[in-house]
Amino acid sequence: MKQVLYHLCRLLLAGVFLYAGFLKGRDPVAFAGSIASYQILPYAFNYLVAATLPFVELLGGTLLLLNRRVRPALLVLFGLNSVFMLALVSLLLRGLDVDCGCFHPAGEEGTGTSPQMALLRDAGLMLAIVCAWILHQPAADELLDD
Amino acid sequence: MNSLLRPSRRVLLEALVLMLVAAAAGLSLNYAMVMNAFSGRNIVLAPQATDPGAEQQFPLPVDYEELEELLAAGQLLVDARDPHLYADAHLPGAISLPLGEVDLRLDAFSTRISKETPLIIYCNGFGCPDSFDLGVRLIAESYRHVRVYEGGFPEWRDRGRLLESGAP
Repeated sequence: MKQVLYHLCRLLLAGVFLYAGFLKGRDPVAFAGSIASYQILPYAFNYLVAATLPFVELLGGTLLLLNRRVRPALLVLFGLNSVFMLALVSLLLRGLDVDCGCFHPAGEEGTGTSPQMALLRDAGLMLAIVCAWILHQPAADELLDD
Repeated sequence: MNSLLRPSRRVLLEALVLMLVAAAAGLSLNYAMVMNAFSGRNIVLAPQATDPGAEQQFPLPVDYEELEELLAAGQLLVDARDPHLYADAHLPGAISLPLGEVDLRLDAFSTRISKETPLIIYCNGFGCPDSFDLGVRLIAESYRHVRVYEGGFPEWRDRGRLLESGAP
């Protein structure tokens, strides 16, 4: 039963991060714009993060999918998810409205995700990461220095 | 339980390597975009597979402090918002060119504003894509110096700066 739950968590996380990484990675300029809307980083650094972060998600998701180097991948995705959640909390605390309400399709009501919903989703992912970590049975070569 | 959750040194090291490899891959694939962003040039992406040979250009953002300098140097503001919002209040000296009416108004705009004029486009602040999209359009129309003030109208207003009102 524990192993079924572990594989469910692993595959869920792999799917989510591969999908997220693919969407962000195929349009890094648009993703940089999304990061800029959080008003946390200096302008050029939004592009640096947009260039690299999707590949961290893709690599982490791939390792989980392949069931290889699971704990390092989970640790990286845990860190990444923590940063996402902190950014969302800062958005809520500052009362920033990142949807402009312009007529552009991306700004239409109902097409975006509110910070509250995103935070809830990230909390669910965090739970899956912790479950997968606890239920993972490391291979013999991963236990060498434990 | 504590030891169950605590990552071993090996796991920490592998996680670090994983991040470095991913970052290196991302940087190598998006090298031009990152270098352009840090050097202050327009963002240039690789030619699209569907349109070989074409070069797509994107406007680089301008922050509030840099905007002050650029306006002092005489650069022109372009308001990409709805004309009613422009009429209510806009940044001093801004010209209205709403993204939704760009096809109707572009000829008149081009007659009035030369392609060499440095332009700074704004709309409803961070997260509003209209200024960026208008920038892409104007670059495609051969405007050579186009940037986007991402803080836009809300940031200018919230800093207590002077606003103008009146129809375009």
